[in-house]
Amino acid sequence: MELTHRFTVPADVATTFAAFDDVESVAECFPGAEVTSVDGDAFTGGVKIKLGPISLTFRGEGEFREKSLAKDGSSGRMVLSARGKDRRGNGTAGAEAVVALRPGAARADGGPATDVEVTTDLQIGGKVASIGRGLVQEVSTTMLGRFTDCLEKKLT
Amino acid sequence: MTTTEEAPTAEAAHDGEIGRDRRRKEDHRLLTGRTRWTDNIAPPGTLHLAMVRSPYAHARITGIDTRDAQASPNVVAVLTGADLADTQGVLANAWPITTDQVAPEHKPVAVDRVAFAGEIVAVVVARSAAAAVDAAELVDVDYEELPAALDLKDAAAATPENGGALAHPDLGTNNSARWIFDSAEAGTGGDVEDAIAAARSGGILIEREYRQQRLIPAFMEPRSVVVDPTGEQITLWSATQIPHITRFLLAATTGVPESKIRVIAPDVGGGFGGKLQTTPEEWAAFAVARRLGKPVKYTETRSESLLAAHHGRDQWQKLTLAATTDGTVTGLKVELLADLGAYVALVGGGVPVLGAFMFNAIYKFPAYRFDCRTVLTNKTWTDAYRGAGRPEATFAVERLMDELAAELGRDPLEVRRQNWITHDEFPFTTVAGLTYDSGDYESATAQAVEAFGYEDLRAEQARRREERDPVQLGIGISTFTEMCGLAPSRVLGSLNYGAGGWEHAEIRMLPTGKVEVTTGASAHGQGHETAFSQIVADRLGVPYEDVEVLHGDTQVAPRGLDTYGSRSLTVGGEALALAADKVVAKAKPWAAHLLEAAPEDIEFAHGKFTVAGTGEGKTVQEIALAAFAAHDYPEGIEPSIDAEATFDPVNFSFPHGTHLCAVEVDTETGAVSLRKYVCVDDVGTVINPLIVAGQVHGGLVQGIAQALWEEAVYDDAGTLLTGTLADYLVPSAADLISFDAAHRSTPATTNSLGAKGVGEAGTIASTPAVVNAVVDALRPYGVHDVRMPCTPARVWHAIQEGSAA
Amino acid sequence: MIPTAFDYARPTSVDEALRLLAQADDAKVLAGGQSLLPVLRMRLNAPDLVVDLGRIDSLRGIRDIGGGGAVAGGGGAIEIGAMTPYHEILASDEIRQELTLLHHAVAEVGDPQIRHRGTLGGSLAHADPAGDCGAVALALEAEMVIAGPSGERVVPAADFFQDLFTTAVGDDELLVAIRFPVHPGWGAGYQKFVRTAQQWPVVAVGACVHLADGKTISEARIGLTNMGPTPLRARAVEEALAGVTPTPEAVGAACAAAADGTSPPSDLNGDADYRRHLATVLARRAVLAAAGHPQ
Ligand SMILES: Cc1cc2nc3c(=O)[nH]c(=O)nc-3n(C[C@H](O)[C@H](O)[C@H](O)COP(=O)(O)OP(=O)(O)OC[C@H]3O[C@@H](n4cnc5c(N)ncnc54)[C@H](O)[C@@H]3O)c2cc1C
Repeated sequence: MELTHRFTVPADVATTFAAFDDVESVAECFPGAEVTSVDGDAFTGGVKIKLGPISLTFRGEGEFREKSLAKDGSSGRMVLSARGKDRRGNGTAGAEAVVALRPGAARADGGPATDVEVTTDLQIGGKVASIGRGLVQEVSTTMLGRFTDCLEKKLT
Repeated sequence: MTTTEEAPTAEAAHDGEIGRDRRRKEDHRLLTGRTRWTDNIAPPGTLHLAMVRSPYAHARITGIDTRDAQASPNVVAVLTGADLADTQGVLANAWPITTDQVAPEHKPVAVDRVAFAGEIVAVVVARSAAAAVDAAELVDVDYEELPAALDLKDAAAATPENGGALAHPDLGTNNSARWIFDSAEAGTGGDVEDAIAAARSGGILIEREYRQQRLIPAFMEPRSVVVDPTGEQITLWSATQIPHITRFLLAATTGVPESKIRVIAPDVGGGFGGKLQTTPEEWAAFAVARRLGKPVKYTETRSESLLAAHHGRDQWQKLTLAATTDGTVTGLKVELLADLGAYVALVGGGVPVLGAFMFNAIYKFPAYRFDCRTVLTNKTWTDAYRGAGRPEATFAVERLMDELAAELGRDPLEVRRQNWITHDEFPFTTVAGLTYDSGDYESATAQAVEAFGYEDLRAEQARRREERDPVQLGIGISTFTEMCGLAPSRVLGSLNYGAGGWEHAEIRMLPTGKVEVTTGASAHGQGHETAFSQIVADRLGVPYEDVEVLHGDTQVAPRGLDTYGSRSLTVGGEALALAADKVVAKAKPWAAHLLEAAPEDIEFAHGKFTVAGTGEGKTVQEIALAAFAAHDYPEGIEPSIDAEATFDPVNFSFPHGTHLCAVEVDTETGAVSLRKYVCVDDVGTVINPLIVAGQVHGGLVQGIAQALWEEAVYDDAGTLLTGTLADYLVPSAADLISFDAAHRSTPATTNSLGAKGVGEAGTIASTPAVVNAVVDALRPYGVHDVRMPCTPARVWHAIQEGSAA
Repeated sequence: MIPTAFDYARPTSVDEALRLLAQADDAKVLAGGQSLLPVLRMRLNAPDLVVDLGRIDSLRGIRDIGGGGAVAGGGGAIEIGAMTPYHEILASDEIRQELTLLHHAVAEVGDPQIRHRGTLGGSLAHADPAGDCGAVALALEAEMVIAGPSGERVVPAADFFQDLFTTAVGDDELLVAIRFPVHPGWGAGYQKFVRTAQQWPVVAVGACVHLADGKTISEARIGLTNMGPTPLRARAVEEALAGVTPTPEAVGAACAAAADGTSPPSDLNGDADYRRHLATVLARRAVLAAAGHPQ
């Protein structure tokens, strides 16, 4: 399942890049997420997904696979991958998110802007994914939507 | 009661036994729940199992931490594949279709690698089912994901060189076997390439590719197994179609002597081929019970059943039909890819081969080639599902005949008539090398056409087309035949099948006059007890009520090859008829002795031995009592009139029929609704019309369901998305219409009953009838095919694309 | 299919239920159980406590609450207790006559067993985007009565559905009743499209229309089911229908906008494009049915 979210941030690419580089701060945006340890580009944590009737707790680890910021600030890109499993062994989740940053059209006030594109390839597996009318797929789409909405708000 | 009073009533009953509508004697206990399913069986101290299953389609197991699970309340043991490695045995493939077939070893509990999502990686044993399930959640398995081979065509093309994913990397290929039949090589017909070349220059060539979607048998009773290792023998109860084969393979793969194993299939709630399997769950339960020395039970949930019980169909069919411009078919070439899933199941590899002989169906094709590859993928294994191979073949050829008719602008019935075998041509040896013994396609079709109101419906169709009615009418035809009654053992041997196809029966004449019958055909919902009682009552002339049919227990009915492939009546029923004939033969000297007459003067009719020309006589039941007492009997014979018989047919049987379906397609929404369904089936002699109707109706629903509703769907990581019955759409009565199902009979010549088999007919015939009807409705919209299941969305998209083209 | 162990409470009053919810860390409310129990059995949730509302009599029943109160329009209203099962709603003459659209929708929910256990409140609180009743509550401009630790509040349907499975009902609150303004003289049409009987709708459209002079549509309200994470109103269609004489052509033209502003899912029952198309067809049929049978 691939999901793409786009928004524009009122800051230059380098500043936006730095904001994304802070795992703990980014994680705050994911509802129910918590980072338990950070070690360089790797981190561990958990997500409690609670939506309507569903409540699942995933634990796992992640890392920045790639982080590149063009010297002239003309582009930035990071690839973040994470995987985890449900506390009760009923499912697995894997995600690879590619964050692409490009300078956006200058703002009305003349300040810099960055166009952000987050493409997430999300893979939910195991029992939770195969039961109930694609419920879990829909739930995860919703959660990701909330995550990027929050990021957008936080950075703008 | 005196004999004179009894005779007339008994005679009346005897006369009517074959072909009599009897309500099934087993239904009272099945419908009221006054019976035992495997899950109801609980030897004292039974422990409960829960399976920990892989969430990944393909992964290496890098670690299993069972400590938390072990420490969970009421847990007795947590066993991994490594723990069971030495005792669990393997799951056998009984039909390696070629001598060089590539097949991975299939351990019941995976040891270091999983090859499909749902594969068992550990077994939790606890004092209650709830405790087992709770603890299973605590087993922490670490996996390293491997690339998964999922798409059938991609998997077939993958090699280590091109980097395509391999379902089992160590095998170096996903291609398990290639099996070819060529009529030119076999000497049964011409060279299909010549026919195709001729058609290409001046004839008609129909080239199509059809998809047989993956299906799930979805039997009503989930699989369940209980193993009790206490006592001298290990008893395994299982909701299985095949207790005898299971016993043999348990012994053969675990080293436990066969004589120390008893397998019981109690009442079993449906199978449809889905329980024609020896399963990882059975093998794991067997190993765990032996290891712990305690009875264990495992019953799957519905979701586990959908996930891990074997699936069916799943083929790509590439078809080339050559014909002359006058509509005479000159050749058919079939290139087939069959998805085996992760392992080669019990007869999984052979399923397409069962179809190989049926692509020419009822037609006189002069040239034929069948080329099939079986392919391993990282999905649930596939195996027999009602019809096994034959629905796929029938679908292909019946769709093609409609396409040919459309190409010619002719009525599809006419094109079929032009090509089919006529009733005076039987016995007929087909281009696939089979000899059809009997049939009458013309009469069955004429009767169906009449009952359907074919001409009126065609007229209505024309009117709706004319008026551009948003609801269009389509008419679908399927004139099918199948081979069933599996099967002549020699033929099976020549196909490299691992067992024979005979069946065994025994008749025990009890002193009280009751008749105890055992059959090796283990019923799981078909009504064997009723139909077999009718056969015995008919042959022995005893009251139907006096016959008790026992089955499904290797200690009660020790010899048998079980129930599948519409074989029970044609093979098992015939074995019983032969055993009954032996009882009569054995009773005759007793009768002569007791009646003080010469054996030559004794006649047997309506259950009674009489001395020719006198009214004096003895019933077979009276002789049973005499044989029990054994006070007075001739020298040289044994004091018993019990008999057993084993029947091995010399040929398959070939039921056939004409199925006509009318559907209405709402072109605005794509919804397909059934309007009328008529079928006339020739299943040979009908023992019990009610049971035949039940088999046909149920079969139709399953075939229609393939056409319209059912499909097992995986996502691109190999997760099954149809893991509940809210996602895997099995129809209910509310989705169907009343069927008009009639039958005719040209008796089979290969068994004395004249029976041909009916278990799979409806399923085989109906799928193409429905899809042909859907496509027929949409031809004015430029539609030539709709992939199964013909969902509203697919139909609507097909209309958009067809109209745009 | 065994759920994880949980404590079970069966309060007999709303206050007692609210107290239990306030005290618990991780509680789930049980109504008819037709959505909750599958989730628990599949272990997609493992609450510590299940609070069964089945014994709270005040939550069950259909009441005519007259013209006053909080109901918009003032034309009279019917209040349905949250724990009223579908089958009671289906059997009510009052509802069939005054809230015909609700009657039609409820008739199509699941099968008889589900309609005997499942409740209107459970269905709305669950907020399944494919549930039959949400769009109908929107179209009928119902109001939801929610009870919480600090008393009762009334939330219009338009503000009730917030997101996928998410409503205005907080963790420590209960949906206690649903108030529907009666729609005398309004015609109703409900079009539910399914692949097999007893299925959640692939898409459903509920329409109620008012014909001014018996000929032209003066007002139409259209609810859409499964065209996004929440039930939706097809406002563009409603506007386009105003003043229209309900011929198939005119209604069809107005309903071409049925999918405007929606974001339907793609799943095994159909892709988003197909759903968008389906919405236009079903909307036309629902409106025509509604216009053809004015009450
Ligand atoms: C096979 C099947 C088919 C179905 N088909 C359909 C269909 O076609 N159309 C359709 O609309 N629905 C269908 N349903 C769902 C059915 O309508 C459910 O009954 C309904 O969605 C939930 O109602 P319930 O009373 O059973 O609630 P429950 O399952 O008990 O609860 C559902 C959720 O709502 C919460 N909840 C319940 N009541 C309250 C309350 N008063 N206050 C706060 N929270 C509450 C619960 O905590 C839970 O999270 C089907 C269900 C099944 C099993």
